[in-house]
Amino acid sequence: MPVAAHWRSAARTHAGKVRERNEDACLECPEQGLWVVADGMGGHQGGDIASQMIVASLAELPVHENFDDRLIGIRQCLHWLNRRLGQELTVSAGRQDSIIGSTVVALLVEENRAACVWAGDSRCYLWRGQRLYQLSRDHSLQQQLIDERQMNARQARAYPGAHALTRAVGAAEQLTLEVLELEVFPGDAFLLCSDGLYQGLSSDALGRALNLALPAMALERLFDDALRGAARDNLTAVVIRG
Amino acid sequence: MTDPLQTDPAGQALVAPPGDDPPGDLTYFAFAESKELEPARTSAPSGFSTMPEVLAGRYCIERLLGAGGMGAVYRARDLLAEQYGDPDPYVALKVLNEDFAESPDASAVLYSEFCITRYLRHDNVLRVHGFHVDTSCERAFITMELMRGLTLDKLLCERPLGLPWKELQDIVLPLLDALAYAHACGVVHGDMKPSNVMLSEKGVRLFDFGLGRAEEGVLAGLPHLSRERFNAWTPGYAAPELLEHRQLSACADIYAVACVIYELASGKHPFRHLPSTQARDQHLGSALKPPCHLPRHGWPALRTALAFDAGARAITAGQMRDAFIAPSSWPWRRKIRPSR
Repeated sequence: MPVAAHWRSAARTHAGKVRERNEDACLECPEQGLWVVADGMGGHQGGDIASQMIVASLAELPVHENFDDRLIGIRQCLHWLNRRLGQELTVSAGRQDSIIGSTVVALLVEENRAACVWAGDSRCYLWRGQRLYQLSRDHSLQQQLIDERQMNARQARAYPGAHALTRAVGAAEQLTLEVLELEVFPGDAFLLCSDGLYQGLSSDALGRALNLALPAMALERLFDDALRGAARDNLTAVVIRG
Repeated sequence: MTDPLQTDPAGQALVAPPGDDPPGDLTYFAFAESKELEPARTSAPSGFSTMPEVLAGRYCIERLLGAGGMGAVYRARDLLAEQYGDPDPYVALKVLNEDFAESPDASAVLYSEFCITRYLRHDNVLRVHGFHVDTSCERAFITMELMRGLTLDKLLCERPLGLPWKELQDIVLPLLDALAYAHACGVVHGDMKPSNVMLSEKGVRLFDFGLGRAEEGVLAGLPHLSRERFNAWTPGYAAPELLEHRQLSACADIYAVACVIYELASGKHPFRHLPSTQARDQHLGSALKPPCHLPRHGWPALRTALAFDAGARAITAGQMRDAFIAPSSWPWRRKIRPSR
């Protein structure tokens, strides 16, 4: 039986206006109640491989299990990928920069339960009752400066290397995933996106797009808005609506 | 900026009010038609943007199975086999990564892998089908048997405490058998590690001879992968001589397979995944303890195989296999076992 048959979604990824390669990847499985965005680590060779491995592996997970087992399955899969992209990677002598990594944000929905699993700075937003909530907290230096040194967002953004990730799949021997579980209400809309999309948009713009009734319309609005800007990074979004 | 959800000590998500006013101009498309949704869609593999969906007019790429520093492996459907009603028209297809494919001798390296693997005819070595070139995208690729199962690195993630010997010997003995056979044929694997061994429904399969080397006189004429020009390894499994750019020999495979066996038998890498040169310099060898699931009679062999000095690693894959075979399965031992 489809676990989230009433969910509609739309997904899109775009290289942006500057970058030649698109190292983002996304997964859209409304029938299975699973959506994912992964952003291959910029500057590292093989970033696209890392993000593609994440979406391809999560797409193959069994769906017949219950919500809790599926959530465990997602986490186990990401821990395995962390090993695969880290300890199992063949490195060449001539290449100094041999880290292959990716952010991940995954949303699993079944009936009125939802769970968001993430590592890195790809985000999950919730649009509920005409309000926008950021469900995921970035694993980035910028967020760390805000949390630990009480900087405001503007100060933290200006800090050198503020965009550096503090967590990602494949980046360190141990991966720590963050998980947020929540109850889903009728009319909820979710947005999974890479930093390339949200960096260029205000929360007003995100809200206006998510308020549209169809995910495809919301997605079109988000990309129209984002591509009007500089779009220096790859951009990816998945919009999900109950 | 929007406010993130705050989490209280009980783990309950609290919704914080956002700083934005809700948008005023709302548009609804409640009656607009929507397309039928398909079950699963992934974005197209972008790094392989130059690669067509169907390679050489025959192999339809279905999904990414694995990827590493040099190549990517996909599951593909052989359209020709399918046309003839083949019940299982699926193959695994390996192409080199875009960056690497651009180097002048990339296809020769891939051909060498194909040729070495084809040369090895053993039940526990993956079978290759063919070497092809897609002329439109100028990419060479190998087709191989598609294995359904799990690689040892995935098994290790699922079984973090290691496997009991009863289970483990069904993996270790065929693996050592495959390695002993390859070495007897004059072929060194060169990149032995958990992710290059598959536990499939058809048994254990050793694969990825991409860094493999055939010794002098074997497969004469085949261009040898020059370690001077192309030196690659997996840090946690490469023997010191490999990291120190000395000649690759069967002895390096012995160190690597010993690390894999140790890890399977304890859940832990013998040297915390450190490069062997670093482990050697920290004298981690002397503190090594037998893995909990390894029978006592197998420890001297495994310990020898884990020697940092290639000269002291005086054991072959065949000798390791023999040392691991349980004495209880020796015929004379069976005879004296009390009857139930």
